[in-house]
Amino acid sequence: MTPQLAGQIELFVQVVIAGLLLGGLYSLIGLGMSLIMGVMRIINLAHGELMMVAMYITFLLFSLIHMDPYLSLFVVLPALFLIGAALQKYLITPVMDVESVLPQNQVLLTVGIGMVLSNLAQMVFSADYKSVPVSYASKTIYWDVNVGGQTISLSFNFPFLVAFGIAIALGAALFLFLGKTDIGRMIRATAQDKRAAAIMGINTKRITYITFGLGAALVGAAGTLLAPVYYLYPAIGGPFTSKAFIITVLGGMGNIAGAVLGGVVLGLGESLGSVYISLGYKDAFGFIIFVLVLIFLPKGLLGKSSV
Amino acid sequence: MKKTLAAAVAALAMAAGPAAAQEKVVKIGVPLPLTGAEAKFGEMEKQAYEMAAEEINAKGGVKGHKISFDIQDSGGKAETATAIVEKFVTINKYPFVVGEYTSQCSYSVAAVAEKYKVPYLVVTGAADKITQQGWKYVYRLNPPASLYNLGVFSFFETVAKPKTIAILYENTDFGNSTSKAMKEYCKAHGIKIVLDEGYQAGAVDFKPILQKVKSERPDIVYMVSYLMDASLLMRQSKELDINPQAFIGGGAGHTLPEFLQNAAEASEYCMSATLWTPQVKYPGAKEFFDKFKAKFGKEPDYHGVEAYAAAYVTADTLKRAKEWTPEAIRTALAATDLMTAFGPIKFVSWDQFTNQNRMETLVLQVQKKKYETIWPKEASSAKYVYPAPKWRDRK
Repeated sequence: MTPQLAGQIELFVQVVIAGLLLGGLYSLIGLGMSLIMGVMRIINLAHGELMMVAMYITFLLFSLIHMDPYLSLFVVLPALFLIGAALQKYLITPVMDVESVLPQNQVLLTVGIGMVLSNLAQMVFSADYKSVPVSYASKTIYWDVNVGGQTISLSFNFPFLVAFGIAIALGAALFLFLGKTDIGRMIRATAQDKRAAAIMGINTKRITYITFGLGAALVGAAGTLLAPVYYLYPAIGGPFTSKAFIITVLGGMGNIAGAVLGGVVLGLGESLGSVYISLGYKDAFGFIIFVLVLIFLPKGLLGKSSV
Repeated sequence: MKKTLAAAVAALAMAAGPAAAQEKVVKIGVPLPLTGAEAKFGEMEKQAYEMAAEEINAKGGVKGHKISFDIQDSGGKAETATAIVEKFVTINKYPFVVGEYTSQCSYSVAAVAEKYKVPYLVVTGAADKITQQGWKYVYRLNPPASLYNLGVFSFFETVAKPKTIAILYENTDFGNSTSKAMKEYCKAHGIKIVLDEGYQAGAVDFKPILQKVKSERPDIVYMVSYLMDASLLMRQSKELDINPQAFIGGGAGHTLPEFLQNAAEASEYCMSATLWTPQVKYPGAKEFFDKFKAKFGKEPDYHGVEAYAAAYVTADTLKRAKEWTPEAIRTALAATDLMTAFGPIKFVSWDQFTNQNRMETLVLQVQKKKYETIWPKEASSAKYVYPAPKWRDRK
């Protein structure tokens, strides 16, 4: 094997690794939105802003008491769960109950919630860019592989690797929760048929609070995991909301396994596209995949909607 | 003419408002991004305008009037900026518009100003095309993006003499203009461009493209980024152990105080083109920096001083204008010859540029987690480190 070919292989494998690791994070963002979509049938357009809130909590804990971002997951997850559940209980449910001209006005409400959150963040923290400068932010694990007589050196960024692992763990936990616990079964029943679930004696309102809380906690986890490798500012939510939306549609609205797949596909698509086509169109790839899936697989990559 | 005059008088009366009946105020319209991704810069500039207005008013204001900047939030969106300026011109009847931040917004505002024949002073929007349209009412305080690199070019010729370069730039008016100038320079001077890629601002992971940079082993990695992409690019370059002779930024993102915090040790020895540092020898430069830092608890970069200087240019123009109508203000603005904390301001036309201020640009380098001016030599505060040591040899 020539060194040139080895170089090409190294580039390709490295890009695939980067895409997969990024995809893990994207999956976590998509999972939360997919869950909410499956149960409430609404798109939560404040999803990215909830992630922003989680990032600021992580930032605060780090800068005030120097809490490690990964440790702060134990604060962020419950906090975001409560915020999410409260939003659903006090804002979204009352709007859902009202008969209105616009059938989807809860969606508009989430846009408003998003604006309020990002403007609150700007009032409290100003528009400055903040960061969570942990010592291991650019820690990298190198792995040399021998392929046909040539050494290929692969690198894995430590925070991305951890984020990927935690994303997988949370995804698996969610599966178990939905499949094995009573509350999980109630959530699935509500997603399948809200009215029938209510007849069976399920308190569907309470289920919606829990679901929104869970969705918020999941995207909050993504925010916390992203904090060490990225930066934060009040308007950071917008682009991530649109990513979450793409992932949710890719995976089939409300399909949990689909959301994981959608996240990985988006991560890979962005990475490969940016190297082999053009980095300038990075965001366009997501949307191209999105449009193609809508046209050819309107029910998402996995084809069925099931929480 | 009489009609415009009457309108202007009415505008001034209206702007002054009933509350300030005894105290006369002249208002100037300023669109700025106070929310959105560029809000940080909008905020910094707003503080600088207000600080300058306070100083000017403390010294008696302009012709017995207090100067006040009516700062409106454009959110960094060209459509909103356009709408704000339409309102400034048609409803508020302000005879003078100043400001905006991004090139896209400045360009849109300039088109509106030209349409309504109201003078507009561009303060930070740097894309070349803004002052290449032959517009009569558009003046620019900052140099065009293609000249941001002048200091870097002179550094190349005297010290670096690179043979290969990789160019990464943000896909915006600013990124395109700045990198285009760099590409033309490289072509003219026999520097081989091994990679030339535009990217979308705000990406989480630049490693795929940096991997490509690494495989090309360029002497120089040149990057143009407006915001925090700069620090991610540096951090991830360190991660991938990319070792060119120097990393050079095209201004903006690489000159932010936040760049030092976020990129931390990965920012060390990174160079950047810049328009201004507190170490320049213009009168009031250091005073501005110290006062701003004391007042707002954070360091201003060149965007802050641009806004500060723009406020002084505005006051100076209003002082010299025979009357406060768009025409008279434009005439006065064209005749500006003022020394500011940002540097000397004078509007000239050359090549395709019209009404454009021209100035020397600098090169800075991060040394021991601080920005030091390293080029040109006369203006330097520290000696350059070139080539930069390899990542593994540091510490």
